[in-house]
Amino acid sequence: MTPTQDALAPGANGGIQPGRYYGRGLPYLPLDDYPGRIIAIEGSDGVGRSTQIRLLRQWLEVKGYGVVETGWTRSPLMQPTIDLAKSSNTLNKLTFVLLYATDFADRLEKEIIPALKAGFIVLSDRYIFTALARAGVRGVDRPWLRNLYGFAIAPHLVFYLKIDVESLISRVLQARGMDFWESGMDLKLGDDIYDNFRAYQSRLLREYTSMADEFHFRVLDARRPIDRIQEDLRQQVDTFLTQSDVSTPAPEPART
Amino acid sequence: MFVTEWNSSALVKAATKAGKKKNALTPMTFSLLHATDFADRLLYKIIPPLKAGMIVVADRYAYTAFARDAVRGVDRQWVRDLYGFAVRPDLALYFRVPIDVSLDRLLARRVKLKFYEAGMDMGWSASPAESFRLFQSRVLEEYDHLVDEYGLTVVEAAGSITEQQKIVRRHVSALLEDAR
Repeated sequence: MTPTQDALAPGANGGIQPGRYYGRGLPYLPLDDYPGRIIAIEGSDGVGRSTQIRLLRQWLEVKGYGVVETGWTRSPLMQPTIDLAKSSNTLNKLTFVLLYATDFADRLEKEIIPALKAGFIVLSDRYIFTALARAGVRGVDRPWLRNLYGFAIAPHLVFYLKIDVESLISRVLQARGMDFWESGMDLKLGDDIYDNFRAYQSRLLREYTSMADEFHFRVLDARRPIDRIQEDLRQQVDTFLTQSDVSTPAPEPART
Repeated sequence: MFVTEWNSSALVKAATKAGKKKNALTPMTFSLLHATDFADRLLYKIIPPLKAGMIVVADRYAYTAFARDAVRGVDRQWVRDLYGFAVRPDLALYFRVPIDVSLDRLLARRVKLKFYEAGMDMGWSASPAESFRLFQSRVLEEYDHLVDEYGLTVVEAAGSITEQQKIVRRHVSALLEDAR
């Protein structure tokens, strides 16, 4: 798709105007200038995304915006299959990528696009960048991946909660420990789960860093206290919503 | 020799079945699920026998997706790129049959046409037979383009099975002679 000549809003990704398809899109679902907005929060496992999203959602709702949340592998169609595949370790890197893409497509058509049409703010816990990072680390061809996700809509804002591997390790160990997939055990990068986690997450962080330039992420230092990060997040979202035409909050459902 | 069938991987079966049962698949998720199935079979069922020097006979290949997904409105080039990981077959046979013959054959065998097979998800007709005719006619048009684009070998499938089999064996023999 040719990027339009309109001025790119801050946070526009990869030269594509927010709210448009990255690539060839879904020809049977042409996009209009929908009133809704997509705000994606990206970052490693255990970096604090869910907490930040919960707080951001509360704040947006108090301000009167309609908010819809969507999250990784949460589509009713694909979640059981993805869980099954993970539990049996039968995933190879290609099926891994394609299952995630199917999950994303299902949520895009059934959750994200309808919410955009209805003027909601879509808070996305991870977006396509998690898929690009995980597959990139596993050696899947990068141009092929970007083409695959050509049906995704460029978000209006992408926040990347950035952390270094040392801080991530202590945080994950304190919270719940390391699991098989988060440690990239399928890649066999080391003998034990700790070595694997460190090597795998370091590679993932490098992928995110290179995408931060490619897709113009807004990088937030995730090592700071929760409320400091949230303050930063709210301030940037507020500026964005005020500047774009989302100044009118979505109509509230009628209350009696 | 090893035979692999379209849409048969155990991994994806559950999701495809659930989606089809509820008629919950969109053209895009339909396309991606079939690609996932293909990827799973390619890595576990197609590449290993190829490496072992066996002949793999695939009942449908990526061309089925190229034809069907395009009719459902998925971008043609996107689907071709999606299957960029597939191994190009040494021989691709396309059994071409007029729409009336294929409809008669299906109706003779089964009571009911399947929802997606008849393209009912497109909402072109409430009658399964009519929907099948409309949908599969467009699929056949797509195949006609694929014949040139990918050099598919056409076998006219309106004739008798014996006649078709003779032709198939001739093509396969020629291929195997060349490979020697």
